[in-house]
Amino acid sequence: MKKRYQNRIELLQGTLDLLVLQTLRWGPQHGYGIALAIRASSGDVLQVDTGSLYPALHRLERQKLIAAEWKISENNQRVRVYRLSAAGKKKLASERGRWAKISEAITGILNPAAQENEA
Amino acid sequence: MKLPWDTRDKRKQDLDEEIQSHLQMSARDREARGEPSDQAAASARRELGNAGLVRDVTHDQWRWTWLESLWQDVRFGARLLRKTPVITTVALLSLALGIGANTAIFSLLDSVMLRMLPVQKPEQLVALGMRSQKQGSEANRVYTNPIWEQLRDHQNVFAGVLAWSGHDFNLANGGEAQNVNGMYASGEYFNVLGVRPVLGRLMNSSDDTRACGGVAVLGYGFWQRHYGAAASAIGSQIQLDGHSFPVIGVTPPNFFGTDVGSRFDVAIPICAEAIIDGKNSYLDERSAWWIRVMARERPGQSREQTEAGLAVLAPQIFAATLPPDWKPDQQHSYLKRTFVTTPAGTGLSWIRGQYERPLEMLMVIVALVLLIACANIASLFLARAAARQKEIAVRLSLGASRTRLIRQVLTESILLSAAGALLGVLFAKWGGALLVRFVSTKQTHVFLDLSMDKRVLGFTVGIALLTGLLFGVLPAFRATRVSLTSAITGVEVQGDATRSRFHSGRWIVALQVALSLILLVGTGLFVRSFRNLVTLDPGFDRQNVLLVTTNVHNATIPPSAYVAFYDQALTRLKAIPGVTSASQDWMAPMSGMEWNEDIEVEGQKTPAGEEPLVWFNWITPDYFATLRTPLLAGRTFDARDSANSQPVVIVNETMARKYFPKQNPIGQYFRIPDSTLASKKPLQIVGLVKDSKYESLREDYFPFGYIPLAQISQAPESGVFELRTSVTPATLIPAVRDALGNLNKGASLKFETLAQAVDDTLAQERLLATLSGFFGGLALLLTAIGLYGVMTYVVTQRTHEIGIRMALGAQPLSIMKLVMRDVAALLAFGVGAGVIASVWVARLVQQLLFGLKATDAETLALAAGSLVAIALLASYLPARRAMRVDPIKALRYE
Repeated sequence: MKKRYQNRIELLQGTLDLLVLQTLRWGPQHGYGIALAIRASSGDVLQVDTGSLYPALHRLERQKLIAAEWKISENNQRVRVYRLSAAGKKKLASERGRWAKISEAITGILNPAAQENEA
Repeated sequence: MKLPWDTRDKRKQDLDEEIQSHLQMSARDREARGEPSDQAAASARRELGNAGLVRDVTHDQWRWTWLESLWQDVRFGARLLRKTPVITTVALLSLALGIGANTAIFSLLDSVMLRMLPVQKPEQLVALGMRSQKQGSEANRVYTNPIWEQLRDHQNVFAGVLAWSGHDFNLANGGEAQNVNGMYASGEYFNVLGVRPVLGRLMNSSDDTRACGGVAVLGYGFWQRHYGAAASAIGSQIQLDGHSFPVIGVTPPNFFGTDVGSRFDVAIPICAEAIIDGKNSYLDERSAWWIRVMARERPGQSREQTEAGLAVLAPQIFAATLPPDWKPDQQHSYLKRTFVTTPAGTGLSWIRGQYERPLEMLMVIVALVLLIACANIASLFLARAAARQKEIAVRLSLGASRTRLIRQVLTESILLSAAGALLGVLFAKWGGALLVRFVSTKQTHVFLDLSMDKRVLGFTVGIALLTGLLFGVLPAFRATRVSLTSAITGVEVQGDATRSRFHSGRWIVALQVALSLILLVGTGLFVRSFRNLVTLDPGFDRQNVLLVTTNVHNATIPPSAYVAFYDQALTRLKAIPGVTSASQDWMAPMSGMEWNEDIEVEGQKTPAGEEPLVWFNWITPDYFATLRTPLLAGRTFDARDSANSQPVVIVNETMARKYFPKQNPIGQYFRIPDSTLASKKPLQIVGLVKDSKYESLREDYFPFGYIPLAQISQAPESGVFELRTSVTPATLIPAVRDALGNLNKGASLKFETLAQAVDDTLAQERLLATLSGFFGGLALLLTAIGLYGVMTYVVTQRTHEIGIRMALGAQPLSIMKLVMRDVAALLAFGVGAGVIASVWVARLVQQLLFGLKATDAETLALAAGSLVAIALLASYLPARRAMRVDPIKALRYE
């Protein structure tokens, strides 16, 4: 079982990290909030698996790309809130650039005709 | 980096809470959307999945990943090492030998030079020395008992003072001597050192008073060996030199005394010297120097205060102990003596002075061996790195960082060196014990505590890491500097990249050749110098001579009858079958004892600043015949020379040359004015003998005079019989024991062959010659392996090129030349550098050599010659393989 989760983390790693960083750009948020935000902003297409989300959050925290602290929510509940660090902001910028390139390349591969037509 | 253990539990709790809050928020949202509250919580949990698993996987993100990747590297390294068993075995063995040898020599050095005595606060201990204005900087550390007693009773400078004197005691009551390592110790010796008994009690000052009865304290090892560690030892009597002492206590196992290099078996108080030596006691002798003194400094007392205190003390003490029979100028300088202190936390040691230089030399030798081993492994690794370049290129192109790969290669080399160190420590344990046995002789049994202490352990770990880095760094950097495309496609393998990699391999081998040459030159020098000593003509024939040392101290013979006893003994010894000739003297050659006197020659003035000192021995008539020392002129002693006839003397060449230059010494006279043993009347020279060595083979010949036993005024209680034998000398020991035992049961006997006695004086030289020989051979072997490996690699790399050349018509011999040209260049460079370095380094060993210069051309040529021969042989095999390359195969191989 454990192995399965780890594999999934590996597969999603780069993308999920990017999505988390992007989400935190709008302000500090707790884990549940991040999951909701990703789902909402992808028009319910991307369902974030909790089993991947929390490892990703803690990994990013360990890499000092995000920081975490305990806060009291409006429901008077203790929640762990994450925010983007300076290093995280930089990382986000470079990852966005990379993503753009990759998606362009993949689009190119999937759409050779369109490219030829343009040329 | 946070330590994983501190934060572990806290983090788990936090994670649990975080996940719980997630579940609650999710459930609340579901409720808000209209789900019933019990269902909402369940579906929130369902959506989350296995909460425990989520927590664990998340927690895993915090694990100590670098430690894990290090473990991965270690496992990967081990796997790689297993994949090339030959290279790994060679590397491991050379490392084990190299590190082991370094550890062994260092632990010896540590034990002799650096280790603190196992006593309380050893850093407070100082050795007390005396310095007279005239003597240079060298302080005299040997005292008379009167000085010691004054010091003990009047000093107020130190927290405590202690004195001791090593002395062999004979356990046997007559017959063959059974010597134990004894020591006279001052009453407070153990108290000042802070040594506590493991059994019974140790001495105190009330045991060390004049006219004491004597008590004995046993060393732990002796107690175990001789008493089977029985508590009943306490209260029993022990016989020392025929006198009985009650045993009062046993010292702890790690305490060996204050002399590094030996371990005491039995200690008795200084006052007991009067019991052992009877009326010849030294206790009131003002010119008998036999006691050594240490002191414990008062904590917090400054050096100035100590010096000031000693400056006040010294004049009083020396005035009270002035030797009355000394010449006025000697007395004057005696009264001017001062005390000096030197730190003595590491104890005092005769072995330190003798072995400091040889041990340092050996340290350099083993360090060189380790360097050569490192060079060897580095070149093996370089060759292997070439084989791995495809794998490394693949890993690099898949995104592995170069530092990561370097770390991996370094981990592998440190893994190897750690394994080597582990084996090396075993090797060192065995080798260290062997070394101690090496420097021990029959007369002086060397004891050294070679147990692993922090310093030795640190040293071993340090050199293991250092060697790992040393032979790992270059291959690591080289291996990871690959051109990705060429490595992966395999095209252009013969291009620049490989050539330059081979270059560094070549440099390493050249360096190895140079280092080996230095070692071989050292080996040559030490071995030849040892051979010079062994083959030296000492002026006597050492083969087939049995030395029988006798002591009649406890034989109940009156001193007036000693000579008669010696005569009878000699007659009986001559009658033993197998003895061809027998004689007696006072001090056999190489016994380390000496008797010297100032002489006066009629009509000769001694030049200022020179003492007319001549060394003496008393002998019986057949002495020169027995030792085969040639008589050059005149006669030997015979029955004519009696107590009442004209006092006569036989001199050696050096004596004749010094005091009777350009004259016939026979018939000349000289006097020994202060002699107590020989006649004070003028002695007539009746014979001239060839020079012979007296105390050691290395000395210059002493001016020497031999006096007949018959004309000695008082024969001493000990003497040595020399028996020339027609059979193996040791086989006569039972017959000699019987013959002398029948004469007198109380006389103690000690047996040794003359050859052994000579041999024992060469312990230091033999140690250096044997070990440098061993390590020189090892260096030669390692260099041959290194060269073989590199040349094999080169030939493999150039197979394609050689194939083309052969296809184009090159002759096998010219191919051979092509390969050997590389070797020749490399050797020329290595040997050249090695010669220059050897000549420069050799100056440091001059002092340890005998009979040859450190820059001995023959040795240098011999070392270089054998190195070149071995190197050519090692590279001939791969070169021959190159010669036999099949061009078709070589070209198809691409």
